[in-house]
Amino acid sequence: MSHQNTCTRRGFMGGAAATGAGAFLRLGAPALAAITQAACGARDDGNAFAVLGADAARDLAAMAARILPTTDTPGASEAGVIHFIDQALGDAMADSLPFVLEQLEALDASVGGRFAALDAAAQDAALAGIEDGPFFSLVYMMTIFGFFSMSRYGGNRDHVGWKLIGFDGHHGAWQYPFGYYDAEAQRGDVDAG
Amino acid sequence: MPGKPSFPLDTPVDFVIVGSGSAGGILAKELSTAGFDVVILEQGPYRKAADFRHDELSVIFRDELLGGGTAASGQTFRHDADETAVRPRRQPAQYAQTVGGSSAHFTANFWRFRDIDFRERSALDSIAGTNFADWPITYDELEPYYTKVDWEIGVSGAPGPNDARRSKPFPLPPMPVKSSGVLMERGAKELGLTCQPEPHAILSQPFNGRAACINCGYCMFFGCEVGAKSSTLAAMIPLAEASGRCEIRAECAAYRVETDANGRASEVLYYDPDGNQRGQKAKAVILSANGVETPRLLLMSASARHPDGLANSSGFVGRNLMFNAHSVANGVFEEPLNDYKGVQVTRIIHDFYDADPARGFYGGGGLDARPLWSATPILHALEGMPPDVPSWGAAFKDEIAHNFTRQMSIVGSTTSLAQDRNNVTLDPESRDRWGRPAARITYRDHDDDLAMATFLQDHGMALLDAAGATKAWRRPVEPGTNSAHLLGTCRMGDDPATSVVNRDHRSHDVPNLFLCDGSSFVTSGRGQPTMTIMALAFRAADRIKAAAAANAI
Repeated sequence: MSHQNTCTRRGFMGGAAATGAGAFLRLGAPALAAITQAACGARDDGNAFAVLGADAARDLAAMAARILPTTDTPGASEAGVIHFIDQALGDAMADSLPFVLEQLEALDASVGGRFAALDAAAQDAALAGIEDGPFFSLVYMMTIFGFFSMSRYGGNRDHVGWKLIGFDGHHGAWQYPFGYYDAEAQRGDVDAG
Repeated sequence: MPGKPSFPLDTPVDFVIVGSGSAGGILAKELSTAGFDVVILEQGPYRKAADFRHDELSVIFRDELLGGGTAASGQTFRHDADETAVRPRRQPAQYAQTVGGSSAHFTANFWRFRDIDFRERSALDSIAGTNFADWPITYDELEPYYTKVDWEIGVSGAPGPNDARRSKPFPLPPMPVKSSGVLMERGAKELGLTCQPEPHAILSQPFNGRAACINCGYCMFFGCEVGAKSSTLAAMIPLAEASGRCEIRAECAAYRVETDANGRASEVLYYDPDGNQRGQKAKAVILSANGVETPRLLLMSASARHPDGLANSSGFVGRNLMFNAHSVANGVFEEPLNDYKGVQVTRIIHDFYDADPARGFYGGGGLDARPLWSATPILHALEGMPPDVPSWGAAFKDEIAHNFTRQMSIVGSTTSLAQDRNNVTLDPESRDRWGRPAARITYRDHDDDLAMATFLQDHGMALLDAAGATKAWRRPVEPGTNSAHLLGTCRMGDDPATSVVNRDHRSHDVPNLFLCDGSSFVTSGRGQPTMTIMALAFRAADRIKAAAAANAI
C-alpha cells in the first residue's frame, strides 16, 4: 500500500497533488485507488506513458472520466483508458498527437486553468461547449476504444468494460441456449411460432 | 501431397487468376484439380485460420482485413458525378484483402437467388433511367451449381416455404435458433408473416474434415479461427494447393492485363511483395477480383487498342454498380438475449421477396433478425444507442450497460437497380499504397430502392413491437455510402453492346479473358449475393473446362 501511495503522489498523480487533486479525489476512493493502481501497474510493468506529459495525461484522463464516468459502476478511470489513449497517440493515432496537445492547451485556456482541476460539473459544462467539434469527437472515440478494446491496447483493464455490459468476449466458444428467449423456446415454455 | 509449384514468369501458365475470394478460390480449385496450371495473384496476405483474432478494434475500426482502409486503398466516394469525390473515413467498397477474399470475413448469410431474379425485367417492365435487364441464364441453369456450392463448401440450412426449388437437400442442418430469431418468430406470428431458418455458409456439424462452428460470435467482419465458415480459404484453397498445380502468390497486386498483337490477353503485370514490378505470362486470364477491383483493373489496362479500358467496347466496364440497399430497426427487450453469441442471423422473412406493384415502387427484399450493433462492444457503444440517449456521461454508460445483452436489430436488405450513374472509375488524383489509381465510387441509390428499404424497416419496427420490445427505434433510410456487396460492373449478357462478358463469363472483346465475380451480376438479388457468386464460379469453371477441352480458349 505504501508503495502505491508513493507512486500516486510522485508519479501519475504528482502534479495533481501539488496543484490540488480535487478532481481526482472527487471521483471517490475506489476510483482513485483504481487509477493509482493502474498507473502503478503501468509503471511497474515498465509502461510509463509513451508520449503524454503529466498535465496532458491528467486532462485526457479527466475528459475520458466524464465521457464514461465512475458511478456505482466502473468507468473510464477504472478501465485505465488513459493508457489506451497514450498508447494510441504514440502508435496508431500518432498523427493526431500534435492536434490533441494543441486542443488541450486551448481547453485549459478556455477554462482558465487545468481542465483536470475543475469539478465534475464544471468539466461537463466545458465539454458541452466542445462536444460537436473534432477534438471532443477524437477523445470520445479513443475513450470508447480504450474502454472496450482488448486489454493489450492498454485500456479495458481486467475487462472492466466488458464486465460492465455483460460481454464475456474473452471466451471463445458458447453452448446453446445463449439467452432468455431461446432458452424459453428450447424448454417449450412458449410456442415460438 | 505434391510439392508447391513455382511457375516461371516467362512461360505462359494455363491460367492466371486475379483474386482468391468467393469466385477466384473456386475457379482455382476447379481448374487446378482438373489438371490445369494456375497462378493466383492475391493482393492481401496469406492468413490462415489461426491468424484470425477476436480483435474488434483492429478488424472493424482499423480495417485490418481490408488492407488498412482508405488511407491504403485511396478509394474515394461521391454521390453524384458533379461532385469532387473525397476519401471518407469508412471505406466505400468493403472487401477483404486476404487469401479467401471477402468469403473469409463475410457474415455467411447464404441465400440462393430465385427464378424471378434472373427474368424480372421480362416479368415486370422496363424502368425509366435504369439498365434493368434479364440475365442471359436462368435459375434452372444455375441450380446444379447452387447445389454444388452446398455440397462442396458445406452449407447449413433447412428448406423454407418461399425457397426456390432445390435438387438436393442441404448437406447440414440449420444453426439452432437464437433469441433474436425466437423474438422475430413471435412478431411474425402476431403479424401473419412467415419466418424460416437462415441458410449459412457455416458448418453446423463437422463436414469434410472441417470442424463445426463453436458459436464464438465473431462472424460479421471477422475471419473464422476454426475454419467453420465455408470461405474459399477453408473449403477450396486447400484442395487447389493439394493438386500441386496451383501457386498462390499472396501480397501481389495486379496493375495491368497486357494484350498481344492478336488482341489476346498475354500477361498480368503486378507488384510483388517487395514492390517490384513483375509479369506472369498466361494462356488465359481470369479476373475474380470483385465488383470494384475487376473493372478497376480493366480500366487500368487501357492501351492504344483499348483506349477506354480493356474489354470495354460496350462502355459498360464499371457501370451499373449495385450495393443492395439496407435498413435497420432496433429493439431492446426485457430479458437478456446475449445475441453476441453464435452466428448473426438464425431467422429470416422472405414474404416481401417479390416485387409488388401495389407498393407503388419497384423492389423486393428480405428481413433478418440479428444482434448487429450488439455483436461487439465498440460497435454497440458507437452505433447502437437509441437517439434519445445522451452520447456521453452517466446516462450513456448506463444505457450501454443495460442494452448490450438485451438488444437486437431487424435488418432489411433489398434490390438495387442498375443505373449508369452508379459506377467505378479511376480517381484522377488519389492513388493506393502501390501507386495504382484509386477506385472512385459514384453512387446514389434509386428512389425505389430506398423506398423498399423503408418499407422493410416499417415491417421491422412492427415486428419488434409485436415481439414485445420495451423500446424500438430507427434512423431514416439514407442513400448508401459504402457496401460489401459490389455487383454489376461487368455484367453478363448476349449482346456485346450492352454487356461485358457473355453467358460463359468470357469477355466479348478479348477471347481468352474471363471475368467472374460480383461484377458479372445483371440484377442485384435481394441482398445476399455470395452464394450466387460462388455458383457462377462453379458454372464458369465448367464452361472454361469445356472450352479448353474443345481447344476453344
